[in-house]
Amino acid sequence: MLGLIVRRLVQLPVIVLVIYTLTLALAWAIPGNPLENPEGRQPKPEVIEAMKRQYNLDSFPNFYWSYLASATGVKYASDAMSGELAAERERAAAEGQAPPRRYIFDFGPSLQYEDWTVNEIVRDSLPVSITLGAIAILIALGVGTIAGIVGAVKPNSMADLATLVVALIGISLPSFVIGTVLLLIFPVWLGIGEVGSSAGPQDMLLPAITLSLPFAAYIARLTRMGMIDALSTDYVRTARAKGVSERVVLIRHALKNAFLPVLSYLGPAAALAMTGSFIVERVFNVPGMGQHFVNGVQNKDLFLIIGVVLVFATMLVIFNLAVDVLYRWVDPRIT
Amino acid sequence: MLKIFAPVILLVLVVAATLVTDRPMPRADFSFVNRGDVNTLDLQKMSWMQDLRVARILFEGLVANDVFTHDYAIIPATAESWERSDDGLEYTFTIREDALWSNGERVKAGDFVYSWRRAILPDTAADYTKLFQLIEGATPFADWRQEQLDEFASSPLQGNERRAEAERLWDEAQAKFDETVGVSALDDRTLWVRLKRPTPYFLDLLAFAVFYPVYPPLVRQYESVDAQTGLIQAKTGWTKPPDLVSNGPFMLTSWRFKRDMRFEQNPHYWNRESLNIETISTPSINDPNAAVLAYTSGVVDWVSDVTPAYRADMLADKMRFYEEHREQYESLRAQGLDMFEIDRRLPDDPRKDIHAIPAFGTYWYNFNCLPTLPDGRPNPFADARIRRAFAMTIDKQSIVDDVLRLGNPVARTLIPQGSIPGYESPGGLRCISDAMSEDEKQEIMAEARELLVEAGYPTPGDLPTIEILFNKDSGHDLIAQVVQKNWQEYLGVSVRLSQKEIKVFRDDLKEQRYMVSRAGWYGDYGDPTTFLDINRYDDGNNDRKYNGERYEELLDEAAVELDAERRFELLTEAERIIMDEDLPMVPLFHYMTVYLFDPDRLSGLNPHPRTEQNVYLFDVLGDGKGTDVVRTMPPLPPATAEAPTDTRGIEAGILDRDELLALRGDAADKGEE
Repeated sequence: MLGLIVRRLVQLPVIVLVIYTLTLALAWAIPGNPLENPEGRQPKPEVIEAMKRQYNLDSFPNFYWSYLASATGVKYASDAMSGELAAERERAAAEGQAPPRRYIFDFGPSLQYEDWTVNEIVRDSLPVSITLGAIAILIALGVGTIAGIVGAVKPNSMADLATLVVALIGISLPSFVIGTVLLLIFPVWLGIGEVGSSAGPQDMLLPAITLSLPFAAYIARLTRMGMIDALSTDYVRTARAKGVSERVVLIRHALKNAFLPVLSYLGPAAALAMTGSFIVERVFNVPGMGQHFVNGVQNKDLFLIIGVVLVFATMLVIFNLAVDVLYRWVDPRIT
Repeated sequence: MLKIFAPVILLVLVVAATLVTDRPMPRADFSFVNRGDVNTLDLQKMSWMQDLRVARILFEGLVANDVFTHDYAIIPATAESWERSDDGLEYTFTIREDALWSNGERVKAGDFVYSWRRAILPDTAADYTKLFQLIEGATPFADWRQEQLDEFASSPLQGNERRAEAERLWDEAQAKFDETVGVSALDDRTLWVRLKRPTPYFLDLLAFAVFYPVYPPLVRQYESVDAQTGLIQAKTGWTKPPDLVSNGPFMLTSWRFKRDMRFEQNPHYWNRESLNIETISTPSINDPNAAVLAYTSGVVDWVSDVTPAYRADMLADKMRFYEEHREQYESLRAQGLDMFEIDRRLPDDPRKDIHAIPAFGTYWYNFNCLPTLPDGRPNPFADARIRRAFAMTIDKQSIVDDVLRLGNPVARTLIPQGSIPGYESPGGLRCISDAMSEDEKQEIMAEARELLVEAGYPTPGDLPTIEILFNKDSGHDLIAQVVQKNWQEYLGVSVRLSQKEIKVFRDDLKEQRYMVSRAGWYGDYGDPTTFLDINRYDDGNNDRKYNGERYEELLDEAAVELDAERRFELLTEAERIIMDEDLPMVPLFHYMTVYLFDPDRLSGLNPHPRTEQNVYLFDVLGDGKGTDVVRTMPPLPPATAEAPTDTRGIEAGILDRDELLALRGDAADKGEE
């Protein structure tokens, strides 16, 4: 187990480095100048040149290495060791300046939103996405597992067919359709909940339902498959023969094994759900992180694109690791 | 078994943690959807409409526009009074004694000097630095500083020596500014400004948020000299609560990125009695449909830019509502009431919550005026006759009626007619949709084709394929299709559409990599130059690379003309040249702003074509806070009923049109049944 964790943690930087290189290369190739405004007044050419120099936007290798150093914390560490950090702080104090804000992992400034750093953007939006994702995965787990069990107990029955149809809808209907329909039914027609509000967790319910559907559908199919396999095994037959009640057979004996594929699916699913979905966020106006993937690319906001991609990649690797660890803990047969 | 539930328990814990930490705030007295997310609250750097709107909530300038007058009259704000010298060059402002920052400190004349210096310094890269060039010595100072910085950039100094030199240069620059630029604080309450030339609209500029003051003790903490470039660099951070200090009616208490902003009354604001709401919030809602639904479900009180495609249908519904109350509506109009007040006096109906207001902006097509195209071929649009021919053959009315369906005024001029009091717009070029009869239409077509022949293209096939450049989204493609069809039909030329991503589009525009392109502009202040300057050859927004000798002369002449009336005449002539003769651009229509709010519940909005809404003046009627008294524009006398600054709304225009005649027909049919 320990070996696995160490191995994965060693892999992490390699994976993230490859993702960083690919993302930056692609983002760099996006046509257009990130420092120009899409509409209206434009900065003067000499100003754009100066800003390009300041952010190393004039040379790919310079940008590649300097950003890598600050995003990975290397720059922070080297500044801390060389005493530059302390010197900076002293200089600021001596000149009556605000103490310099230095992040260990510095993702740089947002080029589009001048008042914000990418770190602040992630700080504000990631918790929202994580909460939304967590609720969605919870719903997906509950709905998916129950639907899967129902389907497996009486395969090819009406109930099974019904869950299959619902699962198909969940997988195939795009979330902007489901989201808009939910918005129309609940807040607009029934007056339950609000549109465009992100005041508190109660506003998360509708987006979480929308977000959960494809996951729920997938989990339902996985559970059903696993349950059908499990219900035809010898140990279930034995349990039934012993006279164990059907409920206990289903949940304690069959589900325990049938759930394993679901568990391994949970890792990437949770990472995906918790780093935000552009469409669900847009339809329900959730201030999460998903929108920044798309907006960042549209605005060619290099720092933002790479910042959110790095956060997402790291989360994905860590969640997969967590699931692997859980897996071995739940089922010690796996080594 | 418990093990299986481990992930579930983990997830529940995450959700519970958020529930505990993220307590929702109570609803604000007034909540609105801004035009987009705020880009920056650094006053001197801003240029977006949504940023400027929030700036007016938070900050206050020397003077303000009284938005409830037809000429947006200038009224005192932080300055209680001012004097202008006889030659119109010098202004002396007296700052009111009780003008305070939100931390209780006095607003000083020096705060303005500091803020304006930021805008003038090339270091700041302010979008609107050009407006400050009216101040005497500002341009030479900025050029001098730029030179100083360029020299420093190539200096071989390193390390601490380099830093010391950069700081020395900065000290030198500050001293130079004080010596040479015509703005200074005579004492804490007296600000003196000297202009390069008399500028009749100078006070109007001062009401523009870029001229408002930032709080120097705060901003200074975030500014430092960059040892590498010598530039004064501002770090981000001071524009956010709790650090931000402002001098306006409200202060910023919370700003969560892409989530919401929240404002509360500034306890030190001198004119607090005039405020009728205590808290304001602006949730960030980027989806057009979600914004409308947020209004319908009561989350917000005002949507300041309604953009879903179905807004045209909502407006049509409102027309039906007017039609149902036609008699009452017309009698209210005859009284000269403003359009919001008319709505208020009509019976309660949710259909009346949508409002289309003519805006201070114009949509047009650029012609590339350079002699050659990017691929080296000769550019037919370098010839003004070709531009005229193409401009004449656009059916603008059809764009307004069939594509936009908001009742936008067709544009014959760059500057929306009647938006600037005292300024008379030129007649503009006659175009195909002005034709009253088929004969006249043929006449216009013949004239256009004759122009092509004169310019050396006897048959339309001689012209290269015309390419129209536009960015995707916002319906630009639909407009381009109409224009394409017009030119193919009336001129017989072949036209290709080229749709690009906004960033690529902007790049192409800047580099003149186009033949014809879409464009638009909103005016910033109440003077024709806010529109006309963008056609000056060296202007950063002259994407057409138009170079009109006579045009430049007229603008130069107007710049030094002391007599206001004569000056406007010169500007009218300048606009006539670009709209009637040279046509570097062809205006298609003037923008409309579409609002969503309940006039019976909300007061404080003005339907003036300048469409500057001061949110701090708003009053939620019947909420028990403030006076709960409706504010309206002074009624227009009947004699000027058709005056261009008609604030009674564009609905009038729509009501009289064919569409509505048809609608009336519908109603009659139903009556017979």
